[in-house]
Amino acid sequence: MSAIITSPDTATSADATWRVAGQVRWRLWEDEAAVYNGRTGDTHHLADFAAWVFAMLCRGPASATGLTRAAEEAVELRSGEAPGAAIGRTLALLRRLNLIEETRREQGR
Amino acid sequence: MNEQTVTLRLGPFTAALTTPFADVVEELKRLYPASFFQNRAAFVDFRVALLPGKGMHRRLRKQARFLIDGQEHFKPLPADQALALVEWGLNYAIAGLAHHYLIIHAAAVEKNGRVTILPGSPGAGKSTLAAGLIHRGWRLLSDELALIRRHDGKVVPLARPVNLKNQSIELMRRFAPGAVFSAPAFDTVKGTVALMRAPEESLARVDEAAPPGWIVFPQWRQGAPARLERFSRPAGLVEIAHNAMNHSLHGEDGFELLAGIFANSGCYRFSYGDLNEAASAMNALAAA
Repeated sequence: MSAIITSPDTATSADATWRVAGQVRWRLWEDEAAVYNGRTGDTHHLADFAAWVFAMLCRGPASATGLTRAAEEAVELRSGEAPGAAIGRTLALLRRLNLIEETRREQGR
Repeated sequence: MNEQTVTLRLGPFTAALTTPFADVVEELKRLYPASFFQNRAAFVDFRVALLPGKGMHRRLRKQARFLIDGQEHFKPLPADQALALVEWGLNYAIAGLAHHYLIIHAAAVEKNGRVTILPGSPGAGKSTLAAGLIHRGWRLLSDELALIRRHDGKVVPLARPVNLKNQSIELMRRFAPGAVFSAPAFDTVKGTVALMRAPEESLARVDEAAPPGWIVFPQWRQGAPARLERFSRPAGLVEIAHNAMNHSLHGEDGFELLAGIFANSGCYRFSYGDLNEAASAMNALAAA
């Protein structure tokens, strides 16, 4: 199963730090991403803002606050939505797809 | 009816077909070269059978059944669709059993040493485009199943007859008047179908795998000018994963294999409404 992901989803906490999940493989091309989730067998096409957030996390773990700061400098949201809200909803979507995981929770195990 | 067994080469595979339908065997001999028929095969990948129908239906209308290793996977079809049933059944056998390849539901044609993979849902025009291109200088690897070799990402030829449907049959008769066609089968689940033998060069080079160079998603549209448009690689990769018969079985390795192919290939959408124009556009792409 696959999906094209272009828009953010529901809210998530601002203080958590996120990274690309261990079972995920990806390729970034032309500001978009093809992402394979080894846990579910799904392949996803990330575009637009979702691709930008995912690409940022491919560089290294980041918090919602850090991503929001970066988005304010680098991205102009076509929807006119506040970057913080868009980041929160996009992280929630990526988490729901099991493409990212919280580093703090991992370290606490 | 006397049964006979013919051993037929299908690219890297060998199938042994047992059948009493002598007319089907004769058609296969028109559609495949003599060198693809082997008297004795050391190893057979698929043991298949085309047998007459059984039960009450056979008294009303002659039927044909297709079995793979003794198992019947399809409903019987009218006997005048037996040849189409054999070709579909062989596709089913390859797609269901040859998991040492990544198998994409796509046509594949080669020019200048590089393969164009033409994925597409039924009706997109991939078989018709492939059929046209192989009569304008391209080599046929497959019209239906692109076999990707896992260790090097090359496409392995099958060089089987091209399945044509409905208006594509008459179109190809006009486009390639020298080509060999089977008799059409009418009223199948796909409409009228006919098979077109692969050109001799494609058959002679059946052992030559080649690397992909382009992934082109075709879409036939009546009267549309030939138009190639760049297509996003991530979108193309996800679409081709959808068109893969066994992508999920290959897991992470399958994704990495596809990612490697897309990294080294041009990715396009291609709309066309005329085969001559389409061939010119594709030739220009291969020459660039």
